[in-house]
Amino acid sequence: MFIHLNPNSGMPIYRQLFQQLRQRIVSGQLAVNEQLPSVRDLSAELKINLLTVAKVYQLLESEGLAETRRGLGTFVVGGNEMHSVVEKRKLIASAVEQVVAEAQHLGMDEGEVIKLIRQRFEETKRKG
Amino acid sequence: MESYAIETKNVTRSFAGSVVVQDLNLRVRRGSIYGFLGRNGAGKTTTIKMLAGLIWPDSGEIKVNGVAPSQFTVEDRWKIGYVSERQILNPFLRVSALIKFTAGFYPHWDFAACERILQRFKIDPSKRIKSLSQGTARQVAFLLALAQKPDVLILDEPAANLDVVARREFLDEVLDLLRQDGKTVLFSSHILSDVERVADEIGIIAQGRLKISESLDRLKETVRKVRFHAFEKGVNGFVIPDAFQFSKTRDEVLATLRVEDETSLRALASSHRCQYEIIPLNLEDIFVEIVREPKD
Repeated sequence: MFIHLNPNSGMPIYRQLFQQLRQRIVSGQLAVNEQLPSVRDLSAELKINLLTVAKVYQLLESEGLAETRRGLGTFVVGGNEMHSVVEKRKLIASAVEQVVAEAQHLGMDEGEVIKLIRQRFEETKRKG
Repeated sequence: MESYAIETKNVTRSFAGSVVVQDLNLRVRRGSIYGFLGRNGAGKTTTIKMLAGLIWPDSGEIKVNGVAPSQFTVEDRWKIGYVSERQILNPFLRVSALIKFTAGFYPHWDFAACERILQRFKIDPSKRIKSLSQGTARQVAFLLALAQKPDVLILDEPAANLDVVARREFLDEVLDLLRQDGKTVLFSSHILSDVERVADEIGIIAQGRLKISESLDRLKETVRKVRFHAFEKGVNGFVIPDAFQFSKTRDEVLATLRVEDETSLRALASSHRCQYEIIPLNLEDIFVEIVREPKD
C-alpha cells in the first residue's frame, strides 16, 4: 500500500495515516471486505511505531470504517454506499422533525401524514 | 510486572555543588519508545547514567525494570541494555572476537541477531575495532547491547556519527526490537526528525528539570503557536501566564501555549477584542519553543 507520511509535519503521524486510509475506504479504493495489512506488517512497511498503526485501526473501527475479525485480521466495512446512506438520513432527519412537529401542532395523526407523503411521492413519479 | 519500565521519583544529582538534575519524575511505559530530548548540559547524560546504574542520585528513587540500579544483580543487568554516548570498545579486538567475548557474559545471547545486524550494517567481523569508522564502531556497540536480548534498552545519542542511511537502518532495528512484545527503548538524540519518526513518548529536559513527558501525538495536537492581531483596543494588559513563550509588539502578540480546545482561545480573543491565527508546530519547533529561555 502506498502511503506517504511526513513525520516532520505539524500533524501527528497517526492522523496523517488515518486520513489517508479513511479517504481510500470512503472513495472505494479499498473495497468492502478487503483485508487491511496487519498492524505489524504496516508498521514495518511504513517504518513507524506499532502502536501508531494500532491506534489508527482503532480509530477506523470507532468510525465504523473497519472491523477486527477475531483471528483473521482487520477488514474494511461499509465503504461509500453505506456511509452515504447514513449521511442522507442525517440530512433528512431535520425535515422529518419539522413535518412531525407541524402535524402534531395541527392535530393531524400519523396515518394522515404518511398518506400525504405517499401522494407526494406518486405525483413526483408521474411527473417523472 | 509494573506498567513502567523506568520510573524515577524526585531524583536530584549535583556535581561540584551545582545541581545538574533536579526533582526528576520520569515514567517510561513498558513497550514504548521514549525519546529523551534536551540541549547539551541539560542533564540528559547524567540521567541516563543514573538509570544505567553508573552513578547514584543524591536523593530520590529510581527503578528500572522494577529494580533500583543500586540493587542490580547480574541477572537484572542481563535484562537492561545500555550504550553510552562514548562507548569504548577494545580497539585491538576483531569484531568477531569482541562478540564472542561479550556473549560469554550473557546466557541468552542472540547469535542470529548478531548475524542479521552485521549484514544489515555491512560490518566485516574480521576487522579490528580500531580500523572501523566512528559510526561503525557505534553500530557494533549497539549490536552488542541488542544481542543480549534486553527488556529495556537505554541508548545515549545512538545515532550520533551515523549518516542518514545508517540512521534509518538503525531505527529499523530499534523498531524490530520493539515489535517483540514488551520491549522498551529510551534514547536520547539531537536529531529531532529521527525522534519524530519513531518515538511515541517524548521527554524534554531543560536546566535539569523535566519540562514535558507525554505522547508525541498529544504534544503535536496541543502545543500551538498563536498570533493574536487586529486588537481593537491595543495589546496592553494582554497576558497568558502559563505560555511557553510570549512576546508582544505594538499591535501583535505571539505566544506558544497549550491549546486543549479552541473554545478557551476564542474566549480569550473575544475578551480582548482581537483576532487570532493558529500556527501548527513540528517537534523541532516545539522543542525550541519549550527549551528556549523566555524573552521579556
